Amino acid sequence: MGKLWLICIASISILLPFLCNAFSPETPTDRRVLVLLDDFAIMSSHSLYFNALKSRGFDLEFKLADDPKIALQRYGQYLYDALILFCPSVERFGGSIDVAAIVNFVDSGHDLIVAADVNASDLIREVGTECGVDFDEDPSAMVIDHIGYAVSGTEGDHTLIASDDFIKSDVILGGKKIEAPILFRGIGHAVSPANSLVLKVLSASPSAYSANPKSKLSTPPPLTGSAISLVSIVQARNNARLLITGSLSMFSNRFFRSGVQKAGSQIKHEKSGNEQFLTEISKWIFHERGHLKAVNVKHHRVGETDEPALYRINDELEYAVEIYEWSGTSWEPYVANDVQLQFYMMSPYVLKTLSSDKKGLYSTSFKVPDVYGVFQFKVEHQKLGYTSLSLSKQIPVRPYRHNEYERFIPAAYPYYGAAFSMMAGFFIFSFAHLYSK
Amino acid sequence: MPTNLNFEMARSLVGFTVLLLFLSICESASFFQPISDSHRSAAVELFSPDHGSFKSLEETYEALRTFDVLGIEKKPDVTATACRLVSETVGSSSSTLKDLFYALKANSIVKCKINDKAYQGIITRLNAAVDGASSLPDFYYSVGGLLLVKGSKGDVHLADADGIFRSVKAFRQSDGRWRFSSNSPESSAFAAGIALETLAGVVSLASPELDQSLISTLNSDISKLFDSIEKYDDGALYFDDKLVDGHDHQGPLATTSSVVRGLTAFAAVTDERLNIPSNKILGLANFFLGIGVPGDAKDLFNQIDSLACLESNRVSIPLILSLPSTVLSVTKEDSLQVNVNTVLGSNAPPLTVKLVGVFTSGSKAASLVESQELVFDDGTGMYNLNNLPKSIDVGSYTFVFEIVLHEPEHEKIYVTGGQKKVPIFASGLIKIENAEIAVLDSDLGSIETQKKLDLAGQNAVSLSANHLQKLRVSFKLTTPHGLAFKPHQALLKLRHESKVEHIFVVGNSGKQFEIVLNFLGLVEKFFYLSGRYDIELAVGDAVMENSLLRAIGHIELDLPEPPEKATRPRPQPVDPYSRYGPKAEITHIFRAPEKRPPKELSLAFLGLTFLPLLGFLIGLLRLGVNLKNFPSNTVPATFATLFHVSIGAVLSLYVLFWLKLDLFQTLKLLGFLGVILVLVGHRVLSHLAATSAKLKSA
Repeated sequence: MGKLWLICIASISILLPFLCNAFSPETPTDRRVLVLLDDFAIMSSHSLYFNALKSRGFDLEFKLADDPKIALQRYGQYLYDALILFCPSVERFGGSIDVAAIVNFVDSGHDLIVAADVNASDLIREVGTECGVDFDEDPSAMVIDHIGYAVSGTEGDHTLIASDDFIKSDVILGGKKIEAPILFRGIGHAVSPANSLVLKVLSASPSAYSANPKSKLSTPPPLTGSAISLVSIVQARNNARLLITGSLSMFSNRFFRSGVQKAGSQIKHEKSGNEQFLTEISKWIFHERGHLKAVNVKHHRVGETDEPALYRINDELEYAVEIYEWSGTSWEPYVANDVQLQFYMMSPYVLKTLSSDKKGLYSTSFKVPDVYGVFQFKVEHQKLGYTSLSLSKQIPVRPYRHNEYERFIPAAYPYYGAAFSMMAGFFIFSFAHLYSK
Repeated sequence: MPTNLNFEMARSLVGFTVLLLFLSICESASFFQPISDSHRSAAVELFSPDHGSFKSLEETYEALRTFDVLGIEKKPDVTATACRLVSETVGSSSSTLKDLFYALKANSIVKCKINDKAYQGIITRLNAAVDGASSLPDFYYSVGGLLLVKGSKGDVHLADADGIFRSVKAFRQSDGRWRFSSNSPESSAFAAGIALETLAGVVSLASPELDQSLISTLNSDISKLFDSIEKYDDGALYFDDKLVDGHDHQGPLATTSSVVRGLTAFAAVTDERLNIPSNKILGLANFFLGIGVPGDAKDLFNQIDSLACLESNRVSIPLILSLPSTVLSVTKEDSLQVNVNTVLGSNAPPLTVKLVGVFTSGSKAASLVESQELVFDDGTGMYNLNNLPKSIDVGSYTFVFEIVLHEPEHEKIYVTGGQKKVPIFASGLIKIENAEIAVLDSDLGSIETQKKLDLAGQNAVSLSANHLQKLRVSFKLTTPHGLAFKPHQALLKLRHESKVEHIFVVGNSGKQFEIVLNFLGLVEKFFYLSGRYDIELAVGDAVMENSLLRAIGHIELDLPEPPEKATRPRPQPVDPYSRYGPKAEITHIFRAPEKRPPKELSLAFLGLTFLPLLGFLIGLLRLGVNLKNFPSNTVPATFATLFHVSIGAVLSLYVLFWLKLDLFQTLKLLGFLGVILVLVGHRVLSHLAATSAKLKSA
């Protein structure tokens, strides 16, 4: 028995570093997910969402947020690849987790899903702030929409919102159009305009506002209209991906299964778009979509195959790079028509769109500018929802050597001719001068 | 050591259900709906067998039981596989007690054919198990098994019912909870449920009948158990085992479900009435209904099975009052409909639903209507109040209902829970009139421009004002009953071209809503931004059916220049679509090559450069140049030839230098040739000088 334990512990400690790294091209998938809950009942009431994740191969570990035994890392190794915070009311995490630990977790490239709710605790708001979104400060405020609400026989206060203002991005929301509106009940947040990493995925309609539905509105609401973000995502510079929403109930079975009819619309959808929306977005969060890698960067002179150490001005060169996208199971060729190459020294001298062969290979050819210096081949591919590719390769460009210029210039023929006729004359003159009598 | 039952059930911690959070979701609908079609579709979804069979007999039974209670047609293949599993388990002597128990349970629903011989074997096995049982689950499975056999065969008795009863009762704790076995220190309500169910089985299997005094001692235990019941804010009651060791913790749903099963089973076999307040039964029913539709098969089974137990229990049957719609339109004259059902949605006994009172939400004023009875509609099975009382205008109200049973003896069987408060939203079309927008002169208040607005349609007002003027927007809101209406959202929004927004709350006095923007006081708030401002008006409320958001038009503001220290508006969010996307291509502009004359011209001038040489040659011929001075002696002639060859070589070297040699090669060769040239040149020239000196002297 004891021996077995020893083997178990040994094998775990060997496997741990491989299991628990962040997304990287070598281990390109999240596997272990820590789910922190306020109450274990969420496991049951939100089980459709969790089951969808489990069926995609994620290993969910459910813990109470105030469990004193929880930890994100042990001996400097992260125990999880991603964290789901379904604990809007937690005042203080148990164990060694605090906001700084979560920020470090994300800073090391791990993914995070945060769901706040009405009466969200300061702690969860602080996590939101760290992610670049500001929840409405009024603790009892909710997003109210008297025009874009979901028609319901039993919910009359218009805090159950049917929203269909999605971000236009197939990579984030999947190729299939989300037909049914999303049911949302919770608090709104604003994304900081200075933060270019946060994106509103689901915005409220122009008629929405954030206020306490039970009290009279005496001051203008801090958040109104489409500035209210219901669901936001962040793609950090290290490609960690975050989802922030002000509604925990939008993940619930009740909302997943509920039918939805937006006020003013005759179409009654059998099922809300929540399941499709949140499942698709979780694919993005867990890097099953939109994660690119670039390999095999090659450049050479036209007609050659070897990569030179430097180029001469006015050389014709060819540049090629292969770009692949992670599909959840394998690297698939990335097909796009807007990958651009810069030939860069202080500023781009050449900026050219690479042509694709639809199998992942992007290539182009161009003539090296007639300016010498140390240049860079730069591919800065930033596209909505995709990880940003930033490749740069330094390459010096030299001017012509003295013997590489044009040798016999026709315009100089008269000079050549003059010199040589002079020399011929001198030769003849030498005879005439010395031997003539 | 916890028993195998414990281990198995602990497999899913999923039992933890319902929570404050979930209840906060249902906050606005704090009344409970009976089981509906959504449960049926969820059941079909959750209990979907893999390749026609379920994982275990327990799950098979749970699926069959849930389908049975919900009245879902069983698929033939499910029944067939279940029967195959059942007969396999029943026929085999190596099957565990637990599997046997669940096989018999499943059999009680699907009614498979089991031969007498097999039954005989089971009875012997179960009797032996009862005699050898030492823990609560052993008793539970064996006694439960025997009871099920009795259900289908009839002639099963427990010989020593009295003794078994006592040995089960030994697991009882003083607080009404039970232990799983005599050596387990933990007592739980979950075990209490199992124990009650087991004891109920013992009572019905007993032959001759058990001593009633023995049974009645349990009554007080049950009362004690109900003392430990826990409560949610909305009146739902549940049991929960607060165990430090979470290992075999079942969660509130499984625990409550176990207690309900035990309680109803026990109530069915005992003659005397159990001493449990009927409101507690209603609270338990509310708990199960408050869960909604669980997302887990086990939870769904626990919920449905417990509700089925409550549906026909002998303590008191809860009746659930529910409303299909709590949003009623005053304008459309919706009728108020109320449903009264049992928990599983079947019809209630004859009764009357009374509307006791209607109160405005948040106020403590007296009821707006007099107590009245709702009319029962046979066709729909609902209780209707066809026209909302005249005193009900748009707004949110709390309606108070009361259920009155017709038959007095039903009072003992059913529990209605007294008065029931239901929040109701009465919505309606709000009349918007006298909408105007005007620019006023500040000092006099005189109207400079005034435009009428049609807030139901499109408006495109175009105004202009400077910082000394004021903008006034006003409108009037009236409810269908002609009263003042105050919407929650009455906001005026001014949006500058640079997307800087300013929002103002429109205040009211009675029906009249008015806002006056004095631009002089607002210049700083407006960041001194002159230019076009779009005006939007949003009026909305939960009970306003025609909530609106209208772009009214725009106003050109002419504000003073900002002083140096004026605050700048916050940066506005950048459109994410414009932030990305391909950039414009850049191609390098190469330096233009130098201008050169045409090649023909160069060649022509090349020809010209040879003309002087030609002229020189002609000149020489004309002068009669000869080579008569060329040395005639061999030695000087050789030197002269060598001299000229050397000159020719130097000149050729120059040509080569031009064609291909570099400076170093050339200088090397030139040094060599130069030495030869100087030597032979000196000899030739001295010879020529000597010859000419001889001539002169001669």
